[in-house]
Amino acid sequence: MNRWNLPDLGIGVGLRTVHFGHILSRRPAVDWFEVLSENFMDTGGHPRWVLDQVAERYPIALHGVSMSIGSTDPLDREYLRKLKSLATRTRAHWVSDHLCWTGVAGRNVHDLLPMPYNEEALRHTAARVRQVSEILERPLVLENPSSYVEFASSTMTEWDFLSRLAQEADCGLLLDVNNVYVSSFNHGFDPRTYIDSVPADRVVQYHVAGHTNKGTHILDSHSDHAVAEVWELFRRSCRRTGNVSTLYEWDEDIPDFDVLHTEALKARAYREEPAAPPVRVARGA
Amino acid sequence: MALEAPLSRVQRWMQEVVVHPGSIDEALASKAARAEVPPERLGDVVLPSRTLAPAQRVEIYQRMYLLRMEEALGIDYPALQHFLGPRGFRDLVRGYVASFPSRSYTLNRLGDHVPAFVLTASGLRHRGFCHDLARLELAMTEVFDEVETPTLSAETVAAVPAEAWAAARLRPIAAFRLLALRYPANAYLQSLRRRGHRHPRPLRKDGWLAVYRRNYGVRRLELSHPAYRLLSELAAGASLGEAVTAAARRRSRSAAGQTQLYRWFREWMGKGLFQGIGGWEHPGFEP
Repeated sequence: MNRWNLPDLGIGVGLRTVHFGHILSRRPAVDWFEVLSENFMDTGGHPRWVLDQVAERYPIALHGVSMSIGSTDPLDREYLRKLKSLATRTRAHWVSDHLCWTGVAGRNVHDLLPMPYNEEALRHTAARVRQVSEILERPLVLENPSSYVEFASSTMTEWDFLSRLAQEADCGLLLDVNNVYVSSFNHGFDPRTYIDSVPADRVVQYHVAGHTNKGTHILDSHSDHAVAEVWELFRRSCRRTGNVSTLYEWDEDIPDFDVLHTEALKARAYREEPAAPPVRVARGA
Repeated sequence: MALEAPLSRVQRWMQEVVVHPGSIDEALASKAARAEVPPERLGDVVLPSRTLAPAQRVEIYQRMYLLRMEEALGIDYPALQHFLGPRGFRDLVRGYVASFPSRSYTLNRLGDHVPAFVLTASGLRHRGFCHDLARLELAMTEVFDEVETPTLSAETVAAVPAEAWAAARLRPIAAFRLLALRYPANAYLQSLRRRGHRHPRPLRKDGWLAVYRRNYGVRRLELSHPAYRLLSELAAGASLGEAVTAAARRRSRSAAGQTQLYRWFREWMGKGLFQGIGGWEHPGFEP
């Protein structure tokens, strides 16, 4: 169990527009949904209405892409106010975003840009994570990014940076095992070392996804089934963390809902076997 | 040896390179990027991988930036994209995001300035038609995301005394936009949704349109010019009496008789274009 006793919601999928009709009409037996925060923060139309229906029936966690926690721009207070409001409205179990930056000088390039992993970046990011957690009145959960660039100014590994950040800023971790795999290929490290180094009691959620191997590098495309190596990393990590809320991401060439859900449910085979219920023994026996 | 540079400088540099519309070499050598990191020091900022040089690694982000912008704008402007074709739309996007980069946490409003940009974008053919297409598609995305407001009920309408109607003011729902078009943009949009339908030519043809939302679906209602003018006056806050009197004055130039006015109101009420009616119970009431 993680240190905040955040629940294991089971195996979920992302709430995507193409599945709205299916979800509302069929009410599939999904354990929970992950909601992309920015897609619902500024709409009063159909997406918001669908989200309200979904949140009535399923547990929700919010996942963002624009907090820009590592940026040297000031935190966007208006964004955080709306995020907090959305979390309250959906009764979200937690709020996550990425260890990255998305823009500076008032701009947003809408990409998860990589950080150099050094003391300056660590101090800077930890201070902002603490600020955000205070504003949101809940621990922020941060996801390890996939990346294509390594900075010469890095003085520590990504897993060391993430571990120290989690400890110094007291935040939770969303461990994306596909991102670990993608970055290990792109940067040439052993993904098992990464998995084995993450503080297990801070992991509150997993992401599993497919990717695109371009030969010279791997793109984190979320466009396919996960490869066996990624599932094995997931199994390896579950052994350390126990069962933690797990989500399958599929964002490009999104298949029918049932295909997506079936892919997500593969996680069952890799999660820890739940402990057997205690055997009841009759008194006097 | 790693370049000694604060985080802020590294981020400014990387952003300048990522958003540059040219090749990666042009991006690295651009004035803005060079001011932060000289191109010859690239290897002191970004490490090579087993298979990629530093510039190739940064290029991955640079390429994805424009693709992402094109994808986001294509979702909001499918008809404009179709009309311009893949290459024309890509060129438009390239110029647009250089002039109007995203400054918001959401991509939903990335395209807010497309109609204005179309008016000045270089090398654009059929500019007037493109402008109208962009205005129509922007109105549709705005209506899609507007807050939901209740529609005027029959009970509320019935509660207005007959003698008070002249002073009454109708307040449109939030998800409502009026457009006066000079080209057949609506017909073009419609033709995209009907397989095998011929697209209208981008020639001058005036048209008037209400874009509104009903049951969370975005709808378009073609209007005659007199109906558009009347609806515009009502939406601007004119009382029913003022708007109808103005319509009557124009009647000699149009077919908007009393029966026609009644039909319009019945249709607009039926489509849920109004959320409230006021101005008659308190003389100073402003909707």
